[in-house]
Amino acid sequence: MSQPAPPPIIEDPFTLYFWEGSAAHQLLIMRCQSCGTWIHLPKPVCRNCQSMDVKPEPVSGKGTVYSFTETYKAFHPYFVDKVPYLIAVIELAEQPHLHFQSNLVGVTEADVEFGMPVQVEWAEFGDKTIPVFRPVTREGTVA
Amino acid sequence: MAITTKNRRVAIVGVGYSNVGRNTGLTERHHAAQAANAALADAGLTAKDIDGVGSWGGDAVDFGYMMGFQDLRWELNVGVSPAFIAPAYHAAQAVAAGHADCVMAFRIMMQQPSSAKLAAGGAMLGAPSMSDTVFQYPYGNFSPTQWAGLLMNRYLHESDSTEEHFAKFAVSQRNWALLNDNALQRTPLTEEQFLSTPYITKPLRILDCDYPCDSGSAVIFTTEERARDLRQPAVFVDSSSLCSIHDMNFEALPDMVRTAPVKASKELWARTDLKPSDVSTAHLYDGFSVITFQWLEALGLVPQGQAGPFVAEGNTSLGGSLPVNTDGGAINVGRRHGANFCIEAVKQLRGECGERQVAGADVSVWANAVGPFAGAMLLTKS
Repeated sequence: MSQPAPPPIIEDPFTLYFWEGSAAHQLLIMRCQSCGTWIHLPKPVCRNCQSMDVKPEPVSGKGTVYSFTETYKAFHPYFVDKVPYLIAVIELAEQPHLHFQSNLVGVTEADVEFGMPVQVEWAEFGDKTIPVFRPVTREGTVA
Repeated sequence: MAITTKNRRVAIVGVGYSNVGRNTGLTERHHAAQAANAALADAGLTAKDIDGVGSWGGDAVDFGYMMGFQDLRWELNVGVSPAFIAPAYHAAQAVAAGHADCVMAFRIMMQQPSSAKLAAGGAMLGAPSMSDTVFQYPYGNFSPTQWAGLLMNRYLHESDSTEEHFAKFAVSQRNWALLNDNALQRTPLTEEQFLSTPYITKPLRILDCDYPCDSGSAVIFTTEERARDLRQPAVFVDSSSLCSIHDMNFEALPDMVRTAPVKASKELWARTDLKPSDVSTAHLYDGFSVITFQWLEALGLVPQGQAGPFVAEGNTSLGGSLPVNTDGGAINVGRRHGANFCIEAVKQLRGECGERQVAGADVSVWANAVGPFAGAMLLTKS
């Protein structure tokens, strides 16, 4: 039996950078070129200074776990054989409250802690690559 | 010269439901017509008395014409918004301003596909901004239960509440529903039963969610003057709010514990002389149970982080210090998307709740939604 197709990803020129960056294993986040504010989810204008000069820039891929939930029920055929899995909100290191939604890997739900340091790594999603996060020790090595 | 906007006192004079149930086979128009007729009969008004319509679900313009209302002086279709408070708030404002005299606000809602159907690929849930789903779907996040799981987990982390407190809350709501003929869920529930049900997305269980169904709800707003002549004791709109603090990406909220209800509560209390301690009954959205907990704290009815212990002490139950969701909440009466809280608040203030009536109820608050946006309304008996 063939693997169910992943959920549809809307092809949008505005978010193409994200997929190109991920394919090259680089996490790109939109940033205001006028005041330096990071903007995620990406918008065409900076809500700090209203500049429309925004461009994606690489980030460190470091962050901490703000919240998480382990999903047991599949809401799409592609995820039927993947449950349970961990959805998490990662606070990226670059800016307070810069929340990035992703999956946690390499850790069981019982071992996840709020504020736990994590580091980006790369996973397959259909024919695309997506950023996911794995816990690291305080010194920065993989836990 | 422009005619000055009026500032009239507004009353709720009629409330009604359709034949609410699971997969009723009825259309949005059927549910709207049933709810409208029930609300008109409740108020003692005729269709020709209605000169304004607002709705979320279906089409207000379509419903107005279908029902044979007057040519509409005011109409509104709200899109994605904080549940029934959106059409209700705007309906009250239209009456206050004198843009209409007798406005019906609707929430018409059809049952959403089951998770079994979603997993089989037979359907997909929509999203408020489809272009943002590129940052959501790849991680297996499709269902509102998942943002609710994130909010609930963070809430448990920051508050004194526990999953056992959520179990006690579900039991307290079910106990209210046992006293409500209108509830869809009316079998006794124990904490053990709650805690033994599997997680959908930990820490959220199915009994933390409202109960999917087809529903139509209608509420009629009019002037104080008009209200005095009608069938029911008038219930007055004392204060209201409709606020937002973020876009619709719940996952990106900077603070998942203190969300839009904080803003909506602040605005609500700034627009009245009444205080949280004046509230007799509270009717607080329970699309997910953590939302009710957030509202208890945001409204200042309970200190921050103390909703769980407050519920566990029995305060929100029959005979408690602050009866909450006395109809049983949407987990038991079914998903009426906030309209049930408005309607139950009205019934409590009229004193027509029978076994579940809260003695001496004279101020009731009802509130909807969480996260990016929220709204609330304070109702009084006199």
